[in-house]
Amino acid sequence: MRKTNINWLKKKREGLYCVPGNFFIDPVFPVEKALITHAHTDHARPNNKSIFSSKETIELMHLRYGESYCSDFQIARFDEKIKINDVTVQILPAGHILGSIQFLIDYKGYRLLISGDYKRAKDKTCLSYEPVECDTFITEATFGLPIFNHPNDESEVKKLIKSIKANVNKTHLIGVYALGKCQRLITLLRNLGYDETIYLHGALTKISDFYSKNNIKLGNISNISECSRSEYANKLVLCPPSSLNDKWSQKFKNVVKGYASGWMRIRQRVKQKNIELPLILSDHADWGEILKTVNDVNPNEVLVTHGREEALVHYLTKRNFKSSALNLIGFEDENE
Amino acid sequence: MNDFAELLNDLILSPSRKKKIDLLKIFFCKSNLKDKGWAFCILTNRMDRKFVSIKELKELIIENSDEDLFRFSYDYVGDLAETISLLWESNNKKNTKINLHEFMEIFSNFDHKNKLKTKLKYFLDRSSENQRYTIIKILTGGLRVGVSNGLIKEALKLSGVREKSEIEEFWHGFKLPCTDLFEWLDGKKLPKYINRKKLFNSFMLANNYNSNEFKSYKTDDYIAEFKWDGIRAQIIFSEDGKIFSRSGEDITNSFCDINTFIKGYFVIDGEIVVKKNNKVLSFNHLQKRIGRKNPSKKLIEDYPIHFIAYDILFYTSVDCRALSLIERKKYLNRFINICKFSNISTSSLIKFSSWDQLQNIKETSLNNHIEGVIIKKKTSLYKKGRVVDGWYKWKRNPFSVDFIIMYAQRGHGKRSSFYSDFTFGCWVDEQFTKLVPVGKAYSGYTNDELKSLDRWVRNNTVERFGPVRSLKPGLVVEVSFDNINYSSRHKSGVALRFPRFSRIRWDKPISQVCSLKYIKDLIN
Repeated sequence: MRKTNINWLKKKREGLYCVPGNFFIDPVFPVEKALITHAHTDHARPNNKSIFSSKETIELMHLRYGESYCSDFQIARFDEKIKINDVTVQILPAGHILGSIQFLIDYKGYRLLISGDYKRAKDKTCLSYEPVECDTFITEATFGLPIFNHPNDESEVKKLIKSIKANVNKTHLIGVYALGKCQRLITLLRNLGYDETIYLHGALTKISDFYSKNNIKLGNISNISECSRSEYANKLVLCPPSSLNDKWSQKFKNVVKGYASGWMRIRQRVKQKNIELPLILSDHADWGEILKTVNDVNPNEVLVTHGREEALVHYLTKRNFKSSALNLIGFEDENE
Repeated sequence: MNDFAELLNDLILSPSRKKKIDLLKIFFCKSNLKDKGWAFCILTNRMDRKFVSIKELKELIIENSDEDLFRFSYDYVGDLAETISLLWESNNKKNTKINLHEFMEIFSNFDHKNKLKTKLKYFLDRSSENQRYTIIKILTGGLRVGVSNGLIKEALKLSGVREKSEIEEFWHGFKLPCTDLFEWLDGKKLPKYINRKKLFNSFMLANNYNSNEFKSYKTDDYIAEFKWDGIRAQIIFSEDGKIFSRSGEDITNSFCDINTFIKGYFVIDGEIVVKKNNKVLSFNHLQKRIGRKNPSKKLIEDYPIHFIAYDILFYTSVDCRALSLIERKKYLNRFINICKFSNISTSSLIKFSSWDQLQNIKETSLNNHIEGVIIKKKTSLYKKGRVVDGWYKWKRNPFSVDFIIMYAQRGHGKRSSFYSDFTFGCWVDEQFTKLVPVGKAYSGYTNDELKSLDRWVRNNTVERFGPVRSLKPGLVVEVSFDNINYSSRHKSGVALRFPRFSRIRWDKPISQVCSLKYIKDLIN
C-alpha cells in the first residue's frame, strides 16, 4: 500500500512550495528559488533570485526579461537527478512548447509529478510528453471538460491552406500565441507543403528566430513591416491574438480573420471574437489526453490545477482516484 | 442534411451581411426544391411547434453521457445544442446521408411520442458534430444564426424573378414546407390557398426621438399621441377576421372578446390594453391574457381587453397605406364611428404648440401606463419598418435607482462564459442588514464593463448553485426602468418594467442604497 498523503507540499501566496526542497514551482511572485516548467509568462515570472529549468526555458526567459536577469540559474538535464536540499529532482519533457518540462520530485521515496502544461499530440517543435509512474500527480485542466476533444492538427491546418487558395485576393490574418503556437503552426504549414513567405507581426519575430536557432525549420519568414501595403493581398500574416481587433490590424483591408486555439472548439467563443476561420489547434491536453495521462502515470492521488477543475475532480473521484482541486491563484482562467 | 449543416455553420461565422446573402443565394440555387423549402421554413422559424422538448434532450444526453459532466459542460458552453453536439459519443457509426427534407418529413409526421428519443438517438449517433448541432437546433426551434428575415428576402429576390415588394406582400402566406414559394419565385402562379386579405401586413415602426434633429422641425407638420404600455396588434376585420401580434403571430383566440367579424375588409393598427371602469390598467394585468389561447369567461370579465386604434391600412378596397397619415386618420375615424365597437376606440391626439410643451406633457401626465409619446409626420405614408421622416417615439424619462448586486448567472449565446445576468436588490428595512431581490437585468453595460463585472463576480463569489453565483454584497449599480407596479409574484412585492443598468457605481458604498419602502413609494 502506497502512501497517499502529501504533507510536504504547501500552497503559499507566491505559489506552490516544496518544504523539504525549499523551492517554489512556477511562482507568481518573486522568490529565492524557483523551478520553472516552461517559459509562458504566467508560469515564468520575472525577478526570481535563482531559477532551475531546461536550457531553452532559461534562454527564453533571458530573451524576454534581458540578459542581466537572474544570473543565478541552473540548467536541468534529462539524464540526471539533481539533489536540492532534502529532495531529488528529475525532469521529463512535457510536450507543451519548446523547452517545456515536468518535475518529478522524490522525497523519502514518495514521488510527486508536476506536469506543468502538457499535451500528448505530436508536435515537431518540442520533445514529446514522457509519462512516469508517481504517487501524486499534479495535472493542468485547461481543457478539463469532456466537450474538448481536439481534432487532428493537420486537418485543421489544411482548412487554412484551403481558405488561402479559395480567397486569392484576401489577406489571411491568424491570431497565434507568440511562444509555441506560432512556430507549431508554421511547422505544420511547411509539412503540408505551404512554402510561401509567412509574414509575422513584430511581437512574434524574436521568439521565432530563437526557434530557428534551435534547429526548428520555419522556412521563409519575414517581418510584416518589410512588406508594402499593396503586397498584403494573398499573404498569410500571423499576429498575437490581441492584435486581431486592434488598430494595427485595421491596415489590412480585405481580410479573413482566423485564430489558432483550443478555444475555437466552441462556436460561441468563435463568434465572441469575430473569427471567420477558427483553427482548433491546442498545446494543452484535451479531456481524453488528460485521462490517458492519469492512467499512464498511475498515481494514488491527482491534484488538479488551473482550468476547469470541477469536472475532472468529479470524474476521477467517481473512478476511485483520490482527487481534489489545488485552487492556485494567478493563472489566467482562459489563457492557452 | 450535410449541406444545410454547412450552410448554418458558414452563416454563423460570416462577418458580413453581403457574404451571408451570397451563402443563402448559393444554397437556394443548388439545392433541390424540397430541401430549400424546408431550409426556408427553418431559417424563418415557421415551424408551428418544437419537435422535441428541452427535457427530452436533457434526458437523452444524460443517458448517453453523465449527468454531472453534462451539467458542468452546459454551464461552460452556454448553449444546449452545442453542448450536446460536443458531448455526444457517437461510437464511430457511419454518417447518415439523409436529405434535409427526408429528415424533416420524418420528424414533422412523428406521432409515436415514446419512440421519439430512440429515433433522435439514431440520427445523433450517425452524425458529425456539426450535423448534431444542426439537428438539435432544428428540432428545438430558434436557430439564432444571425439571419434576419430582411436578409432572407434579399437572398430570395436574387434567386428568382420576383421583386422585393412582391415577396414582402406574400411573405406571410406560404405554408409549410414552402416548396410553392420557390416555384412562385421562379415565375409560377401563387398557390390557390393564398388569400391576400387573410395575410398579416408588416407594421410601420417608430424611430427613436432625437432632440437635435427635431429642433429645426415645425410642430405644425406633426401630430402626437400617447404611447400606451400594452401590446401592438393588427386587426383584420372580415368574415374570417384575425388579430396579429407585432411579430405576425396569430393571436385571435387569445383576444376573442374583440369582434372581428364584418362583411367587407378592413385592417387597423393599434395597441391592446386592459381597461376597466374606463381606466387603462397596468401591463401586469394584460400579462394575464397574453398567451392564453382559450381564456375563460371569468378571465375575460376580470381583465377586459380594449383596443386603442391609431391607424388604418385597408378600408374595403382602398389601400390606405399609400395615403398620408391625415387621410388615413379620416378613414379610421369613419370606420370606428360607423361600427360603434364597445371595446375599440381611436387614439386621441395631444394638443401642443412646441416641442418643450410636448415634453412637459409627456413627463407630467398622471397616467402611470403611458410609456411616452409617438410623434408622426402628417404627410407620412404607411410603410414597413422604421422609416426616415415617419414616426418617432419619445419615451418618458425612466426611473433610476441604485441597487446592490446579489446574484450573477452566466449568459447564453454571444455572452456564454461571461457572468452577464444579474439579480439586484435593496435593503429590506431601515436596519440595513438584510437584502431582498427586486429585479434582474441583462443589459445596459458596454462590453468592457461586462468584462469588469465578470471579473468582479469571480472574485466575490460566496456560494455557487449550478450556474448561479451568490455574491458578497459590495457592488452598487444604478438601474433604469420604465415603470414599477405591485406584484404578488415577486418576493419584494414589486415588479419593474424593463430594468437595465445605466451606470456601475464602483465608488458607492452599499450602505447608501435605499430600502424597499422607498421603492414602493415610487408607485404612483
